[in-house]
Amino acid sequence: MEQETYRLGCDIGGTFTDFVLVNNSTGEFHTNKCLTTPSDPSDAVEQGILQMAESNPGFMDRVEEVIHGTTLVINAIIERKGAKTGLVTTRGFRDVLELGREIRYDAYDIFSEYPEPIVPRALRMEIDERITADSKILKNIDESQVIEVLEKFKKTGIESLAVCFINSYENPVNEKKIKEIIEREAPDLFLSTSFEVLPQIREYERTCTTAVNAYVKPITYRYLQKLTTRLESMGFDGKLFIMLSSGGITSVDTAREFPVRIIESGPTAAVIASQHYGKMFNIKDMFCFDMGGTTAKSCLIQKGHAGLVSTFEVGRVQRFKKGSGLPIQVPVVDLMEIGAGGGSIAKISRLGLLGVGPESAGADPGPACYALGGKNPTVTDADLVLGYLDPDFFLGGTMALDIELSKQAIQEKIADPLGTTMVEAAFGIHDLINETMAAAAKTHIAEKGGNPNMVTMSAFGGAGPVHAYGLARKIGAPGILVPPLAGVGSALGFFTAPVAFDLSRSHRVALDDADFAEVEQLFNELEQESANILEDAAKGQEIIFERTLLMRFKGQGAETDLVIQPRSFDSFSKQDIRDLFDKEYKRLYGRTYQETPVELVTFKVRASLPKRPFSIPRLKNSTGNIESCIKGQRQAFSIIQKDYIPFTVYDRSKLFPDARIPGPAIIEERESTIVMGEDAHARVDEFGFIWILFKGDK
Amino acid sequence: MNKNMSKFDPITLEILWRRLVSIVDEADASVARTAFSSLLRDAHDYTCMFTDSRGQELVQGTFCTPGQAGAMALGVKKVINSIPLEDYREGDVFIVNDPWLLAGHLNDVCVLSPIFFKGNPVAFTACVFHHSDIGGRVSSDNREVYEEGIYIPVTKLYDAGTLNESLLNMIRWNVRTPEEVTGDIRSQVAANHVCAQKIIEMMDEEKLLTLDDLADEIIGRTESSIRSAIKEIPDGIYGHEGIIEGAGKKQDIEIKLTVTVAGSDIHVDFDGTSDQVDWGVNVVYNFTYAYVFMAIKSAFDPDIPINEGAIRPIKMTAPEGSIINCSFPAAVAARMQVGHFMTEMVFNALAKATPDNIIAGSGGTPAQTNILYGKRADGKPWHTMIIRGGGMGASSRFDGHHCAIFPANGANTPVEILESDTPLIVEERGLVMDSGGPGKQRGGIGRQMVIRSPKGDENGENSPGRTTIAVQAGRFIYPPQGIFQGKDGACAQFLKNKDNADPSGLTFCDSGDKISFISAGGGGYGNPFDRDPRAVEQDVQYGYVSIERAKLDYGVIILPESLTLDMDATMKLRENK
Repeated sequence: MEQETYRLGCDIGGTFTDFVLVNNSTGEFHTNKCLTTPSDPSDAVEQGILQMAESNPGFMDRVEEVIHGTTLVINAIIERKGAKTGLVTTRGFRDVLELGREIRYDAYDIFSEYPEPIVPRALRMEIDERITADSKILKNIDESQVIEVLEKFKKTGIESLAVCFINSYENPVNEKKIKEIIEREAPDLFLSTSFEVLPQIREYERTCTTAVNAYVKPITYRYLQKLTTRLESMGFDGKLFIMLSSGGITSVDTAREFPVRIIESGPTAAVIASQHYGKMFNIKDMFCFDMGGTTAKSCLIQKGHAGLVSTFEVGRVQRFKKGSGLPIQVPVVDLMEIGAGGGSIAKISRLGLLGVGPESAGADPGPACYALGGKNPTVTDADLVLGYLDPDFFLGGTMALDIELSKQAIQEKIADPLGTTMVEAAFGIHDLINETMAAAAKTHIAEKGGNPNMVTMSAFGGAGPVHAYGLARKIGAPGILVPPLAGVGSALGFFTAPVAFDLSRSHRVALDDADFAEVEQLFNELEQESANILEDAAKGQEIIFERTLLMRFKGQGAETDLVIQPRSFDSFSKQDIRDLFDKEYKRLYGRTYQETPVELVTFKVRASLPKRPFSIPRLKNSTGNIESCIKGQRQAFSIIQKDYIPFTVYDRSKLFPDARIPGPAIIEERESTIVMGEDAHARVDEFGFIWILFKGDK
Repeated sequence: MNKNMSKFDPITLEILWRRLVSIVDEADASVARTAFSSLLRDAHDYTCMFTDSRGQELVQGTFCTPGQAGAMALGVKKVINSIPLEDYREGDVFIVNDPWLLAGHLNDVCVLSPIFFKGNPVAFTACVFHHSDIGGRVSSDNREVYEEGIYIPVTKLYDAGTLNESLLNMIRWNVRTPEEVTGDIRSQVAANHVCAQKIIEMMDEEKLLTLDDLADEIIGRTESSIRSAIKEIPDGIYGHEGIIEGAGKKQDIEIKLTVTVAGSDIHVDFDGTSDQVDWGVNVVYNFTYAYVFMAIKSAFDPDIPINEGAIRPIKMTAPEGSIINCSFPAAVAARMQVGHFMTEMVFNALAKATPDNIIAGSGGTPAQTNILYGKRADGKPWHTMIIRGGGMGASSRFDGHHCAIFPANGANTPVEILESDTPLIVEERGLVMDSGGPGKQRGGIGRQMVIRSPKGDENGENSPGRTTIAVQAGRFIYPPQGIFQGKDGACAQFLKNKDNADPSGLTFCDSGDKISFISAGGGGYGNPFDRDPRAVEQDVQYGYVSIERAKLDYGVIILPESLTLDMDATMKLRENK
């Protein structure tokens, strides 16, 4: 018999690093969770794997692939801990990055703050060169000038360099030339050029995306290097994949080159998992809720599909305000992230009111109850005091929590200044963080045209199942779905993600003038290019291509996306394409104008490998007795009665298909704890999903 | 049965309110995807909103332009109520650009549609777009509105779903860029369609038959929010007199106002202000009101979304026939040149009473706009419009933001868009050293933009034809003022081949000519000698402030070699001051 093989999913969050190991022949899972090690995140990966090897000696030799997601990149941007980065622009345009689009994102607020440019003015230099809007070379690059500028940069001690020239999206020849010179003259510099990162019109968005890529390139490079070495030293000789913000996964080489594409790497995994469950159970509107130690991520999944957008913002200076962050134009799953997690710190604001988050105690020192020196009360401390968490069963009992430290922190920092009891303060913290998340959730759902009263929530993350019940009550969601391994559920999402990569190119041509054979060639080139990126991973498997054509009325500034059937483009007639456009335009905007000429603008290709088979195994025990699943009872806080009442505590691992659990109940598993009050009840299905409904429903 | 008021518990109300805001924002976002002119799709010179069945504004777009938004709140209500509700038919779409009824000049065209749900008109959706061309003579020195373009009274563009072809044709023949103008009108119809669809979906899902109850609740809460903010202002009568420069050799304009704060009510009166003039800077009542409202709202209650409730406590009066309440047929095309100053005037009046709520003068007041047109080398006509900001004024809390259009709003047109829409080459767009007004908090830095009409030989084509440039701007004579001992920002400039050009009429630019548009910096706040020397050091390192001005204006000595602060020399210099 052949040796058993494995796949390993590993997700680094702000507080915890999660692991899921799946046995390829049995479908069986092993999970693990350990504290993230911020100074070198690959430490935690090694620790976690070593812990797993205790029960599964030598498994790393048999791991075929490791799929990895990380918050490293986004944290470096938010905390402004990236590399010292320089920017080279066309003469006259070093302030593109600072001027931005000049719009005031909050028209009626004269005190709005704006994000600092990612490259400060002193590190932005100009050189003579120029391409026209119709791609002619107006001025060539002068090599000696480039060398001079590089000399100046060397004195500043920059580690990474971005290049963005005006109109390079039309003709990258000058960017290519400067790339050659820099690679020769300054081979140690990390380099990012705009024609490779984002070959699209609009200089601010392109410069910003390229500069952010440059800013995080060195740390991403070093981190992935170290991780690869560590995994190899532990016996791993399979393939390492990295999760992309777009929901696909890619090779280490690509992630190193374009770290800007893995910004939402971690959060995306839970969404991809939810998407899988949404399809599996045919749920129309699913609200994915993933609450970890530092942030909460949410995403509305409609008919099994999460939205994909081509632009998003990072590092907003005002949390909920569009336009207050840095624009990044790469494909990304349309999710919302806020600073609300188990580690979110509670404090008294200047106004004398209770505030929770967005600052997090992270993994070090962590919540007061970790007894690692944290003095600030956090959401986890409140959850512990309220009886939702068991101090002796955190992470399956591998990490003892000190409830006395929680009580002390809440008493001193919150209850005393507010003049309330410690318990009132603890509930205030729990309730306020739920309120914050509810506000964000409602905004997100409403923006996508959904209705919070009709969504099924899916809860993930260490803190997700603890808070899902309170959050669902606040937004009026009728039900909650807690998938198996919810506490590490996002790592599970990696297995459902396809190996995929998106590429696009702009080339404006009127439909009437378009040579469809040429268009076919363009699509072919993109497919070839993306196939090269996937080649290693494909190992001879067939690569699937999806084509999207972006068209508009001649004179418009933005395009309408059309999905094109995967057949040779010259087999379409001009009328076919025109009809496709008119139909979609009419659907979106009510009317179309058949007499107005249209043009083709951008060509997009998504290349992906066939979905890897992945299925959730059925529960081992087909029947059982609910009494035998009960671990005991403990006093926990009732949101309804505003007092402690007895909650029955269940062991999730003993549950069986069709088990019914009445509220108030606490269901414990190793990586998380599900809490539901007296107005809810739960049912377990054959796969071990727990469906929580509020009484009065169904 | 309708849901009655008591049914909106705070949580439901919040959800519905947020949803309404996101609906109008979605309509707003559709414009970037469907509009033709770069002034709309890139520079965002438009505003979307909708009202309840009584024409009361319920929600306006987050990325709005306050002048349009504030004027619409008043104008759209009038338009809606000029027709009995039962006379509206499903599929009706109205179009109007009457400056006195709406946003103050002909370029701002409003498209308005009733929204029908289950056979009844339950709401109205409207949008105002600034069309970069509306015909007429493009200049701020026209004498009457007749010269400024085509005037469209309230007219049906669609009658129960049927297009009024003759009207569209009439518009088409009166503008220079018919494809763009009709394309943008279609984009307006599309934005209203998106808004209407989403409202209908919401009402269906929420089982609402009317929006009016919800509107009452939202409007009522908004009104009490702004009233409680106004109550914080000490009662009193606060006066201010200000001067706005006339363009070219035109006479200065005097603005006189008193702001009366009594409890939760504010009354702004402009008695004593200059009469209307025989050139294009006259302002209609709605537009003046919009920027008075902007001042109160932004200084005292910026957070809550705007609707009819927000305007209720704010009353404004101005003499009929004065420059800020002009009478038909005054020329109004460049009304921003005066109207945008109203926010600053109110701030100045209230400065002493509420020093922490206001900002110093801004270089983006008024918004600097340019209309440029001409012919390409192959004879094809082109036409575009850009808006430019300047440094914002500083406040007690912050340095001024570098570049913004304030109190109006909008975005720059990307250089790459401008170059693909025109034959022009942009040589530079960047910050101007020493333009921010010195202060404890420094005014925002102004910016310059240099464009050039290429010569035929440089890109292997024939030279493009002559470019005509119209300027609607200001701050060439009087700079944005500093406040509480803060110094003024630098003035704006308009140069042709490095010489001063006349911003009041048309300027012509031939192949090889270079035009510089330099916008003003913001005024400083507080004494510059109180500014943290470390902040000045960074200003010098970033090239915001020169070494010389650091010494002169701030009393800070920066070592030229290392660009670092000489603290001892600085302390000594500051002591002797």
